[in-house]
Amino acid sequence: MVEMTYVDAIKSAITEEMRADDSVFMVGQDIRGAIYPHTKGLVDEFGEDRIVDTPMSEFGMFGTGFGAALAGYRPIVDFMFGSCCMVAGETLMVQLGQQYFLHGSQTPVPMVLMGACGTGKRLANDHAYIPRGEILHRPGLKYVFPSTPADAKGLMASAIRDNNPVFFFYHYDLLMDRGEVPEGQYFVPLGQSEVKREGSDITVLANGLMYKHAMQVAEQLDGEISVEVIDPRSFEPFDSETLMKSLEKTNHLIIVDEDHARCGFAAEVMAQVFEQGFDLLDAPVERLCIENLPIPGGYMEPTVVPTPEKIEAAIRRVVA
Amino acid sequence: MGLSKKLMTKLFTNLVRAHHFDELFARRLTRGELIGFYHPAAGHFAPGVAAGSILNKDDFMWPHHRAHGVPHMLSKGVPIEEFLAEHTGKETGCCAGRTSWHWSFPEFGIYGMTGYIGGNFPQMVGYGWAAQRNGNGQVAMSCTGDGSYNNGRAHEAMLMAANWKLPIIFLCENNGWAIHSRIEDMHPTEDIASLALGYDMPSAIVDGQDVFACAEALQEAVKRARAGKGPTLVEAKTVRWREHDIGTPDLDGYRPRTKEELAELHERDPIRIATEQMLDNKTLSQGQIDKVHEDALAECDAAEKFADASAIAEPTVEELRAAVYAD
Repeated sequence: MVEMTYVDAIKSAITEEMRADDSVFMVGQDIRGAIYPHTKGLVDEFGEDRIVDTPMSEFGMFGTGFGAALAGYRPIVDFMFGSCCMVAGETLMVQLGQQYFLHGSQTPVPMVLMGACGTGKRLANDHAYIPRGEILHRPGLKYVFPSTPADAKGLMASAIRDNNPVFFFYHYDLLMDRGEVPEGQYFVPLGQSEVKREGSDITVLANGLMYKHAMQVAEQLDGEISVEVIDPRSFEPFDSETLMKSLEKTNHLIIVDEDHARCGFAAEVMAQVFEQGFDLLDAPVERLCIENLPIPGGYMEPTVVPTPEKIEAAIRRVVA
Repeated sequence: MGLSKKLMTKLFTNLVRAHHFDELFARRLTRGELIGFYHPAAGHFAPGVAAGSILNKDDFMWPHHRAHGVPHMLSKGVPIEEFLAEHTGKETGCCAGRTSWHWSFPEFGIYGMTGYIGGNFPQMVGYGWAAQRNGNGQVAMSCTGDGSYNNGRAHEAMLMAANWKLPIIFLCENNGWAIHSRIEDMHPTEDIASLALGYDMPSAIVDGQDVFACAEALQEAVKRARAGKGPTLVEAKTVRWREHDIGTPDLDGYRPRTKEELAELHERDPIRIATEQMLDNKTLSQGQIDKVHEDALAECDAAEKFADASAIAEPTVEELRAAVYAD
């Protein structure tokens, strides 16, 4: 184990995988010069052939990865800001997920689509929002989001090795968070939620910055309310078994999702709980999400986004 | 003319095959023997035949949606009976019967398609990038119509291909129409080829009804690409004799296209033009030409038998669920 930041853990996985497999390459805008530190120095080790800067042509940039993946390469397409992937929306949201299935399941599309996103920097909707619900709605795409440095490394490495398009979004309010990370090659399998903190009174399902908030609240309530915190880590495939198992014990659930409530991941999980675990519940499930309005920046951001205070209040309501 | 008699014979044969297959697909759709829709070639098939005929098997290609890429693909060697089977929803279809009209022949460098015009361009950059990195002289052929160059993705692809000197040939098969819209109303210059100037890319304009002229122009572009000299935009001026897709009205804006205009377009028949040249330079005799037609019709017949004899693809929902993601 070695202590490193969340963003260095991402870089560590990319570096390990690029060393292990010559077909892995990265394409993005200003990644050679490392606008974010996860690509710092990569061009020195791997050269301009494998660390590729493109013009501000998101379709072309994404297409470089898409076409190359079909031709046998393993691209990592870096959108810088996660929401910038929507510039290439049609190709990415329609073509990408259908490509393998529609064409007779013949040619895999092994690619990672990455970008930093999330609230906390008060940058307003276009930079702050996390593309989630809309991507989870499209069949054929996978989706992961790390909350800790170790998961950042392990999920990125697994995403690169996966033979499908995997969205790897990461939170820029966590970039400099430090944690213990395994050295060398390390993989977190896609589709495994993790119980990050054990508890017996209530389960909180939370990820990314919301996971950090949930852990903080759980510690604050220690001795008063016993809070179990589960990090989904992988949203597609999603491991609902770990959640159901937790509900057998706690019988109470709050879902904190840094996305809009309407038609989002939290709504999907609620539906799954009602379908598979209705008898496990002692109280209605609550979801804490971003208000259904474009995320404002400035000082009003916390008004519409789940905060530790809102999470604590919800926990008290649900277990009451 | 700089083409060998062998290549001319190949081009002519593929042109005749494309023509008969186009009639076959159109006829079957009209009779209800084809699922979905069909965008007939009808006059517009020489550029695709030329493009497919001069490529190697391992070159990348995105065929044009007109004639559903049949001219391009049969010329590249693709087994068209599997494409016909796809159009009839059969297990033997190239996409396992899952699309009705998508192509997928990965062993021929043809990796599937999308119904959105311009959807080819992002992937073309990736094919070009892969071809360049593979370093074995592969090229990537992008075949689309004039309408696709109205789309921003075309410009991103040309920009990046020119920047990186990618081995891509942008073949614009300009038939003057995007469904009911005249190119004059949708594009500010007379020629699509003039776009190449802005990307410092060479371009050529060629008679799209003359398969041999198309092949010569495309060969030049392919030669440049294989030599690492970057992309070329080749504009082939072709015609569309029929409606955009069978069953929709054939309009000029919101009025029917005139009989006079259509008659004029029929003057430029690619089969007639090629036949005259084959006879004039004595590459084939009339008897040999008749045989080319006979063989093509027999091939069509065999393709129909193959498709019709194949089982309908009726997988269970469990089987379909298991097919969404690769292992």
